[in-house]
Amino acid sequence: MGLTNTPSDLLPGTLELLILKALASGAKHGYAIVEHLRLASDDILNIGESALYPALQRLLFNGWVKAEWGTSENNRRARFYTLTAAGRRQLAAERAEFDRMVGAIQRVLAST
Amino acid sequence: MSAFLRYLLYLLRRSDHDAELREEIESHRAHRQDALEKNGIATPAAAWASRRAMGNVTLAIEDVRDVWILRVLDSARQDVRDAARGLRKSAGFSAVVIGTLALGIGANTALFSIFNSLIVRQLPVRDPDSLALLTSGSWSYPVWQQIKAYETDLFDGAFAWSRESFDLVQGGRPVPVDGAFVSGRFFDVLAVQAFRGRMLTPSDDRAALPNGPVAVISYRFWRQQFVGADDVVGRQLTLHPQGLSFTIVGVMAPGFSGVDVGRMADVMLPFAAEPILRGRESVLDVVGQSWLEIMVRLKPGQSVEHANATLRSVQPQIRAAVMPGFRGDPAFGKRYLTRPLTLAPAAAGASRLRTQFQTPLFVMVVAVGLVLLVACANIASLLLARALARRGEFSVRLALGGSRWRLARLLFAESLLLALTGAGLGLLFAKWSSGFLVQQLGSTVALDLPLDWRVLVFTATLTCLCAISAGMAPMVGVKSVAPGEALKDAGRAVAADRRFAVRGALVVAQVAVSFVLVIAAGLFLRTFASLSRLPLGFAPEPLVLVQVNLLASGIPPEERTARVARLRDAAAATPGVRSASASAVRLLTGGGWFSNNRVAVGDGPMLPEDNRKRVWRNAITPGWFETMGMTLLSGRDFDDRDRIGSPPVAVVNEAFIRRYLPAQQVIGRSLRVDVDSGLRYEIVGVVADAVYTTPRDGMLPTLYVSLAQRQPQEWGSNAVLTIKAMPGRRALVERDVATALTKAEPTVVFTSRTFDQMVDATAAQERLIAMMSGFFGALAMLLAALGLYGIVAHAVSARRTEIGLRMALGARPAGIARLVFRRVGVLIVTGLVLGVAGSWWAAKLITPLLFQVEARDPITFSGTVAVLVGVGALAAWVPARRAARLDPATVLREG
Repeated sequence: MGLTNTPSDLLPGTLELLILKALASGAKHGYAIVEHLRLASDDILNIGESALYPALQRLLFNGWVKAEWGTSENNRRARFYTLTAAGRRQLAAERAEFDRMVGAIQRVLAST
Repeated sequence: MSAFLRYLLYLLRRSDHDAELREEIESHRAHRQDALEKNGIATPAAAWASRRAMGNVTLAIEDVRDVWILRVLDSARQDVRDAARGLRKSAGFSAVVIGTLALGIGANTALFSIFNSLIVRQLPVRDPDSLALLTSGSWSYPVWQQIKAYETDLFDGAFAWSRESFDLVQGGRPVPVDGAFVSGRFFDVLAVQAFRGRMLTPSDDRAALPNGPVAVISYRFWRQQFVGADDVVGRQLTLHPQGLSFTIVGVMAPGFSGVDVGRMADVMLPFAAEPILRGRESVLDVVGQSWLEIMVRLKPGQSVEHANATLRSVQPQIRAAVMPGFRGDPAFGKRYLTRPLTLAPAAAGASRLRTQFQTPLFVMVVAVGLVLLVACANIASLLLARALARRGEFSVRLALGGSRWRLARLLFAESLLLALTGAGLGLLFAKWSSGFLVQQLGSTVALDLPLDWRVLVFTATLTCLCAISAGMAPMVGVKSVAPGEALKDAGRAVAADRRFAVRGALVVAQVAVSFVLVIAAGLFLRTFASLSRLPLGFAPEPLVLVQVNLLASGIPPEERTARVARLRDAAAATPGVRSASASAVRLLTGGGWFSNNRVAVGDGPMLPEDNRKRVWRNAITPGWFETMGMTLLSGRDFDDRDRIGSPPVAVVNEAFIRRYLPAQQVIGRSLRVDVDSGLRYEIVGVVADAVYTTPRDGMLPTLYVSLAQRQPQEWGSNAVLTIKAMPGRRALVERDVATALTKAEPTVVFTSRTFDQMVDATAAQERLIAMMSGFFGALAMLLAALGLYGIVAHAVSARRTEIGLRMALGARPAGIARLVFRRVGVLIVTGLVLGVAGSWWAAKLITPLLFQVEARDPITFSGTVAVLVGVGALAAWVPARRAARLDPATVLREG
């Protein structure tokens, strides 16, 4: 793929996984996704626009999310992202893969 | 696939996409500002802080764009790179495929570009669709003057032109240059612009030549002759050996060189200049001389039918004003008056070549199309075999998670890459070969062959069709590959699968199509052979022919008899010359001097005019028959006593006697011919038949009269010297005679050639067709043989295990070979049956191009069957022998 727009402190592909997860609880616009991730991670994950929007476009490109214009809670025009069926399957698959990877990393770190 | 569609959608609304993204990011910032304000920060500070947190928006947008563009480009580039790498790995295979395609596409492009230039392409003038040509044949200048009087009443303008060869004087020697006399409004009606200076106008075309003698030249001529000099306007062009100069007033727009297709008029003069060039031999006012062509431009909305109707309404006035003399035949006059004037659409210009070459060109276009078909089948077969050989690689790719779509794309990229490379080389080949082919059409043919959009679209379409048709087959092959299959069976499969059937069908088609092509080649070769075998009635081998242009040589009519005699004497005195004779007419041009059946024997009536029963005529010096190698059967040749004042005498040939004097005493009879009305010839000799027009026309009734008995003003503008050289000295004689003639008459203008060249030229078209169809037939056969070989070799290698087993169980090598041959035999026989059926039907189409050969000639058909069976057997024999020599022990051990 040759593209790395994820912040350097995340594993490749992890940002997409987190966005998918954020959208699993319902449609959100870009700012709401960032806020969701920040709150859920106790202020550790603070995603910038220059990482978020390319990641969202990759999800769009792969058909995992849909985008629609709507009105936000602040009464502003915003683009809302929704998971598609393919996106839901992808979330499950990536989540399993991620668990496997993290388990592996932990085992490596725990070994003497 | 759906990603690709989304990408296309993205490309369609890309600018919307960027704007949306900007809006979205701005909305993001606004939300952040809202949050800051909620925490009690003042609006301006919140706006500033939110903007600062946003970072580089442009970069973000570009990154997003990359997501869309790079992915697709990336994978396309990767496909091409993979394909190129794959092809490089099997360089031999790639070279064969690219070479085949280059030949196939090149030949098709070459023929199409000739077809395009000669038949399809419209003239590069304003609104060519409204041009119409006055058919059929040529017209006299008085007829043109009549039509010109009506040009604005009936039409939106009219113009006339003649086809001329001018003598351009260069360094003291005249060089022929193609040109035309044109009417004053020629350029105006066509709306052809001047590239430099101005074009000819009606005031240039007035008898008094108020602007002096002027000329315009073609762009091509300007580049060649004047090296594109800027000061060309105002320069002089010497167009007459006696130094008659024309002032160049303009250069025509690039691409335009007259309205004749197949010749390029490089120098155009107004008709008014004709009398100063030809002097007393001007034909401008001669009613009976037809030498120019007439075109009209229809009024907007006027149909050709309507134009014809209006033209015919004034026809009686036109015809009556320009009645030629009727030679005492009222029926002829009546036919002349009532034969309707007819206009025909002429958007693509006028051409005598078109009618002559339309059928052969069409046949050739079909033939090369078929060759390309065979080539594509071959390539499809090769690609399929390659794909099958790579099944292992493919199934590993699939097992590792590669998508089937990606695999198919890779294979298609390979086909496309091959087709594109082939097409590129093909275009080069076409550029070269189309020029070569036009040269072969004859030295007088000049055809502009630009690679215009039609040719390029044609080639591009062919290339795509090739890529698709050849690229489909391997995809069919890949469809059934299962992931991991390669790991399981490791090539142990016994081959009897569907994919063999696909290749088998391709081979059958190849055999059938190449059969059709070989049949065509055989028929054309036999046609050419029968033409070359035709009896000539004279011996061309020792003969050199010199054609003297009396007009350009500046020899006035009253001196012609004497000065031609002086030239003949000079030629006869040249060392190595056996004899030299003069005649009025050159043979083997397809035409000549004739009379349409108007012959009266003795005191009998003059026979009615009939242009299907021509009597050909020639005026010759004594000794001409001997020089030509023609046998005098009875009576005597002309001699020095036959001169002006003595009783007119004639010699006739056997064909003449068969038609007009069958079973009669010939010598001593008297004859009247045509308009030599007063003259009564006495037949003094009978000569054996000889070809006059072309060998194809055969032996025609011919009447010879004595050149010395002709009046000086009866000379045409050319005289012909026929020179017989001693054995083996013809080349020297041709050179020495040229020197001797120039010494005898310093101003003489002549061309010389050997008689064999003239004989060859009469069958130039047939030779070209035979040569090309032979080449393409052989090519198709070679491709079919390769295809056959490929499939047999593949079948043998796939069945190695089976064959090894059979041999281990006691099968004999001969039995194994039979096994292989049986399979090939089915393919060949099926192909042949289809081929015979196809040719049987298609042969009828080429009947008009054949001579003394039946379209369904049994010898050609059975010969072709034998040849193809032989080639097929050879193609199968090599792998079959390899199969029969397999060592069962090795095969089984390798397992």
